[in-house]
Amino acid sequence: MNELIPLMVIVPLMAALLISAFSKFNKATKIFAFVVALCLPIIPIASHYGLHYFGGYAPIMDNVTNVMYHPAITYSFTFLQQIFIAMLGLLTFLVVFIYLTKYKKVSGPYLFLLFLGTAAVTAMLLTDDIFHMFVFFEILALAQVGIVAASSIDYSYEMALKYMILGSIGSPMMLLGIGFLLALTGSVNVTDIAAAVHNGLVDATSPVFLLSLGLIFFGWLYASGLPPFHTIKSGIYSKAEPHGAALLQSFTVVSMISIVLIMFRIYSTLPIFEVLVVFFSILAMILGVSLALTQTDFRRMIGFLAVGELGFIGLGIGLGTQYAVTAGLFQALNEIIITALLFIGFGAIVNATDEVDTRKLGGLLAYHPKVSIMLLIAGLAMAGVPPLSGFQSKLMLVQASLNCGFPEISILAIMVSIATFVVFVKTYYTMFLKPKPRELELEKKEVPRTMIFAMGILLIIVILLGIFPDIVTAGISNFVGGIL
Amino acid sequence: MKLYDQIFNVVKQFKKLFSPGPVTNADVSGSITAEIFLIVSLVLAALLLRHISILLAGFVTLILAVVLISNIPLIPKFRIEQEDSLEKMLFYAVVTLAIIVTFIYWGGNFV
Repeated sequence: MNELIPLMVIVPLMAALLISAFSKFNKATKIFAFVVALCLPIIPIASHYGLHYFGGYAPIMDNVTNVMYHPAITYSFTFLQQIFIAMLGLLTFLVVFIYLTKYKKVSGPYLFLLFLGTAAVTAMLLTDDIFHMFVFFEILALAQVGIVAASSIDYSYEMALKYMILGSIGSPMMLLGIGFLLALTGSVNVTDIAAAVHNGLVDATSPVFLLSLGLIFFGWLYASGLPPFHTIKSGIYSKAEPHGAALLQSFTVVSMISIVLIMFRIYSTLPIFEVLVVFFSILAMILGVSLALTQTDFRRMIGFLAVGELGFIGLGIGLGTQYAVTAGLFQALNEIIITALLFIGFGAIVNATDEVDTRKLGGLLAYHPKVSIMLLIAGLAMAGVPPLSGFQSKLMLVQASLNCGFPEISILAIMVSIATFVVFVKTYYTMFLKPKPRELELEKKEVPRTMIFAMGILLIIVILLGIFPDIVTAGISNFVGGIL
Repeated sequence: MKLYDQIFNVVKQFKKLFSPGPVTNADVSGSITAEIFLIVSLVLAALLLRHISILLAGFVTLILAVVLISNIPLIPKFRIEQEDSLEKMLFYAVVTLAIIVTFIYWGGNFV
């Protein structure tokens, strides 16, 4: 059944190309997109764990040095990849479903970008080849730019262009870093590079190796939207269609963990790597939440909160222990679901009111009770209120930092959670509880049922993961034990 | 009374932060929370320097606290620096590269 592993990338990639080519057949495109989107979460669940060697080139054992080499591009599929790809597939399905029901005439290029982004981020998560990862990182960046530019929101083109310009700095730096690694080790396979570093074949203190860390790290900051790229990341979320933003943030989170896990395997011998990750994660948490507190555009507010939450993921990985990395990856999974729920929920409000300024909204609880209750639970989950999923991962992170001897980080994590709670309570009050402004017209506008359906599905997962976190943490912990 | 006047002045300056448009109680409360959160979290983060040197941590924490409190309101200045201007984003990208180089070149000795 390992033939299903490459299909996780090939299916959305082929679907993207076919939809783009035959988009003039509207009904057929809609049916095809729906069927493919439905397959996306099923393939990883049906697939067995294992490795896939492209071209069938199995690893070669050097009998003289007793070292294993990987000549082929290798896809590695374990529990971690399964859970993240399945969740990404589910989210792609929900987003495509919302999009297909929202418009009578669908746009082939837009669906192309959604499927292309999903294929790229899936490949990044599966691959054990750093150059292959970079190629899909570039494809993902282009898909993200396209999704933002394709939205009908004011200044979306400008924001997409800025993201692309900043990408033209981040991406070449990462490529240069990969080039240095290739020069040092003669391989682009991550397992081979990590083996060379850990067996002492590469001097970990050599300037070239350190420079490669700096360059790849900078590229990672761009991919994950950590400072200094937090402003542009929150900007592109706010300028994309709400369902597009829900998918964009999941792309960011998955590309963030894909790259950082590769870096972790190569550079974990260098303590400065963990210091750098923790430093930028703390900065993201502080900046993200501080800026979210001062926003009046609620889409931008969630954008900054999403960036702040990324800091929690980085924190877990930066602390470096098995428990901390597990907590960080569990937080990543939770963030994908909770932030998507918030983007779709607030998108439903935009759909019903045509307004994004919290000062011009009010009294929405009476008009949209289902959306408001689901948004309330999602906000509480993001703030880390028990028994929801966000609480479990944040509690694990606080415990992990205490175990590592960093009580300051624990206090900071709790403070950020409280500040997130304040952001949400403030926004919830102004939008749903305070009296409705007279000039706000609400009577004839309804929230699409597909959005409520999508929110319901995501909410069930949030509650389930909150009550039974072991469903995923046990498997993630085993994966982390394997790479440490 | 000087500190009280300074804090009161902070609230008045938040008006500019939300212009154009009305300034609501919730917005001002949010901004004051952000102000306090920013100061406390940065001071708390500075305490992490104790893993390098306790003396350095104490010194930096005190200096940082004094500088931050004497410069309130920080949030309006902070937001101007974090706006969507490409020039500022590029500037901070270059600053970040400098920080990474500093960490890697000198930081390795302390960890």
